[in-house]
Amino acid sequence: MMAKEIFMPKLSSTMSVGTLIQWFKEEGDSVEIGEPLFEILTDKIEIEVEAYEEGILLKKYFKQDDEVPVNQIIGYIGEADEQVPDSSPGQSASEHDESDEEIKQSQPAAAEQSSPPEEKVRATPAARRIAKENDLNLSIIQGSGPNGRIQQQDLLDYLNSDAEKVKITPLAQKIAKEQEIDISTLKGTGSNGKITKQDIIPAPAESQTAITSARRKMSGIRKVISKRMLHSVQSVPHVTLTSEIDMTNIKELRQSLLPIIEKQTDLRITYTDILVKAVGSAMTRHPQINISIDGDEIIQHSSVNIGVAVAIEDGLIVPVIHDAAHKGLAEIVKQSKQLGKLARSNQLTSENLTGATFTISNLGMYAIDAFTPIINLPEIAILGVGRIQEKPVVVNGSIEVRSMMAVSLSFDHRAIDGAPAAAFLTELKQILENPYELLV
Amino acid sequence: MTTREITYLEAVREAMSQEMRENEDVFILGEDIGVYGGAFGVTRGMIEEFGPERVRNTPISEAAIAGAAVGSALTGMRPILELQFSDFITIAMDQIVNQAAKTRYMFGGKGKVPMVLRTPAGSGTGAAAQHSQSLEAWMAHIPGLKVVQPSTAYDAKGLLKAAMDDDNPVIFYEHKLLYKTSSNVPEESYKIELGKADIKREGTDVTIVATAIMVHKALEAAEVLEKDGISAEVIDPRTIVPLDKETIIESVKKTGKLIVVHEAVKRGGIGGEIVGVIAESEAFDYLDAPIIRLGGKEVPIPYNPNLEKAAIPQVPDIIAAVKKTVRK
Amino acid sequence: MLKNLEIPSMITEKKLKDLYKEMWTIRYFDEKVDQFFAKGMIHGTTHLCVGQEASASGSIAVIGGKDKIVSTHRGHGHCISKEGDINKMMAELFGRETGYCKGKGGSMHIADVEKGNLGANGIVGGGIPLAVGAALTSKMKNENYVVLCFFGDGATNEGSFHESLNLAAIWNLPVIFICENNQYGMSGSVKEMTKIEHIATRSEGYGIPGKIVDGLDMFEIMNTVHEAVEHARGGNGPTLIEMKTYRWKGHSKSDAKKYRTREEENEWRAKDGIKRFKDALIDAEVLTEEEAKQLQEEAKTSIEEAVEFAANSPEPSIERLEEDVFA
Repeated sequence: MMAKEIFMPKLSSTMSVGTLIQWFKEEGDSVEIGEPLFEILTDKIEIEVEAYEEGILLKKYFKQDDEVPVNQIIGYIGEADEQVPDSSPGQSASEHDESDEEIKQSQPAAAEQSSPPEEKVRATPAARRIAKENDLNLSIIQGSGPNGRIQQQDLLDYLNSDAEKVKITPLAQKIAKEQEIDISTLKGTGSNGKITKQDIIPAPAESQTAITSARRKMSGIRKVISKRMLHSVQSVPHVTLTSEIDMTNIKELRQSLLPIIEKQTDLRITYTDILVKAVGSAMTRHPQINISIDGDEIIQHSSVNIGVAVAIEDGLIVPVIHDAAHKGLAEIVKQSKQLGKLARSNQLTSENLTGATFTISNLGMYAIDAFTPIINLPEIAILGVGRIQEKPVVVNGSIEVRSMMAVSLSFDHRAIDGAPAAAFLTELKQILENPYELLV
Repeated sequence: MTTREITYLEAVREAMSQEMRENEDVFILGEDIGVYGGAFGVTRGMIEEFGPERVRNTPISEAAIAGAAVGSALTGMRPILELQFSDFITIAMDQIVNQAAKTRYMFGGKGKVPMVLRTPAGSGTGAAAQHSQSLEAWMAHIPGLKVVQPSTAYDAKGLLKAAMDDDNPVIFYEHKLLYKTSSNVPEESYKIELGKADIKREGTDVTIVATAIMVHKALEAAEVLEKDGISAEVIDPRTIVPLDKETIIESVKKTGKLIVVHEAVKRGGIGGEIVGVIAESEAFDYLDAPIIRLGGKEVPIPYNPNLEKAAIPQVPDIIAAVKKTVRK
Repeated sequence: MLKNLEIPSMITEKKLKDLYKEMWTIRYFDEKVDQFFAKGMIHGTTHLCVGQEASASGSIAVIGGKDKIVSTHRGHGHCISKEGDINKMMAELFGRETGYCKGKGGSMHIADVEKGNLGANGIVGGGIPLAVGAALTSKMKNENYVVLCFFGDGATNEGSFHESLNLAAIWNLPVIFICENNQYGMSGSVKEMTKIEHIATRSEGYGIPGKIVDGLDMFEIMNTVHEAVEHARGGNGPTLIEMKTYRWKGHSKSDAKKYRTREEENEWRAKDGIKRFKDALIDAEVLTEEEAKQLQEEAKTSIEEAVEFAANSPEPSIERLEEDVFA
């Protein structure tokens, strides 16, 4: 009997190191096959890794926040009295190395890992009904029934506990959570003292005066973003071009497409969806943008894969619409909605997150006119989108009210120069102002 | 209404006698129901009052007497057929299943078969495999038959009146061990509508749906459970066709837990149907524990008394099932 | 005695003519049904009584309107003889709303309770206990009607036959058990399936009279059944009458008839009950050839009209599916 290695799994084709977020077991604990053993952060997502072996956790070579190369041995599982090295002996045996099969095997496992905990919750129909009625996530409830089954009483106990004493509307709860407001400090003005959205809006100022300052650890995803942004800004010479685009025609187009797309997909088409399509078209005409840099080599991509930045709790994630240029608008609408949903429920798989060749970051829903976006490496350009505003514009010598939108294209000056980038942006403006070009 | 305590057996006899005094079309036929008074004594004294024309002692010919009941019902009589043991329904099966149940439908809504097939069912008498069965689920499966299972003297009298008044074939199961049980029963004739369950005991923690003799076992279990702080509601459907779904659904919505108990073999028993009704109903969302069915073991009823008892659910089984379901 | 014919007194000259036409109606009805099945115009199954018209017509001729019959799966003839409405019958075979059973019964369940036809029956021997029950009602309610209970030779090997004969016998019920011995229970020859020569002798086992008649001889049938009916009405209980007859067609719609020979079939066909009845009526000068021909034509036309009625009748609506289960 030999102790079994625990190694840093390679969970995506681009993953080279993983950050250990936490161990779920201490040395000396017994471990079952399939039990969550430790949690890591890859360049894309956080994942709980389950044990492949059973036995006693004999050794942990790394601790929280350590960055560990893929395949590095990080510990051992075996029988209680087995001897294992004092420090990590390095890489695990080579069959794990770069093997395609291994990647294929580990990826579905990763996908399963990231699925929301609700699906695995054992709960009675009554418990599920009460959770639904009260907008509660069952995964936060402790089940006291057989096999941890959550029963009605567990929910009633939870609802009666302090945690839920405060009456609050689901929307208000969401806002409070986003803005990190302690709802127990709020006074509800709704029916029966329920806290509503209105009660929250003025809250930050008040609570800030009450609370001086506090220190907290960055979450895993925050750390990833912080590192990647710093790396991009420090290593890439950014140049940002801006242009104002007349969106009047696109506005009309969207109005006429709304019912059509809704009929087909049950979904509403957004400006971002149209931008994805338009950028896709512009990029096929300007393949010089559809590249990335790897050391001193330039990789020309064959398909246009557009990442769309989505704000999620405590961060930002960029799911990808693959081959955007060749997809119809209905298909783009469907995919982007699906990806947005998965992103917000933390269900994106690595396939959803890799392979982008360009990113769109749209802040048009806020009062933002324009901004300078930071490139999402290894892409070489990113489009920042501001709000659409009605403005007086001189058209053919007379002043007209038009719907205007400012866009900013940040590009990597190592890869391309100003002229081709400007040509691309002009093409995009041309397409958006004359939407029939989307047909070409 | 003047009531007095009489037995289940007397209640059945009284219901028949009162009806026969009122309605000339009602008569009873069956094996050994004449001077012998029936295998269990239910018709004792009736031939003396009504004579051999209306209390017709028959040869041992279950197919013919069942068919004769159907034929006479179809032509204007309201027969009560006593089948000596409910096991013998197998010999009368064609007449019950292919004739009585289907005649009206096959004829496109013409003709009616107002007959009652009364028959003693259940184990507990040491009569072994061919005289102890509970085959009510078979009958419940057949469109065109109504199926009644009274558990008390009071219910027996009122339900039998309803069965005799019904214009359709009604299979009326009397439990042998209940014949000697008694309860307060009104002297005059009264009717308990078919398809109305009875909440035999109210409770809040768990619903126990029990039929026939299991109603009494469930009530006994509920007494014990009360001492442990568990409040069990006991529902007696009384008729399994038509089944009072609403009462059961409402109870399960209240308690969130369901135990179904019958003496008949669990596999394919009516318990599965009741559970199915709950699973399909709005009560599903109120279920707070897996449903438990208690029924007879998958064996013929054995002769040895200990084995015979072990073949069907007993009070401790019900208590154990409830405790598995309700956590307190 | 009418025209030197030995017949029950209630049989008038007109009744004889009606019976002749009725026999043709039965034959044409079943021939038409056979044809429609062959064409796939109607579905399911059916059992034809072509060749057996006499046992139905002759037996039912001697009972009255309040008397009842219990029929069999080969029951179109019984229904027609018991004043059945051929339009409703044909519509039922077409599965139409206007059929006897609103399209829910089909060939094997045609019944006309108001006219005293307690129905055909899909179960061999299944109707015999019902007939006993109907006779019991007659006795208990003093309604004084009799029940003609038809069944085939095959049914006499069913337990229900024996139980019912015994029960009717001990209770002296007014039921006449009529065994239409058409020689085959589906493919099973009566010679193979029973050890006795005449089914009628089974009556001895139950202490009731047993009669054997030529099931293709209308006069013998009428007289024998009449006698049995009188016996029953007198409170003397049942009679078992065996009518030797033959079905010309197979058991049900598709049947290669491998269990019998063409010679045998031809032998029986030569004894055709309709032809013999016609010859006798012409001999007795009740009918002329001309009249006979006309009655036959009228029968044929009535079937065409029934087909017309059935074909133009509506299909039952699906909403009706769950109706009529309970009264």
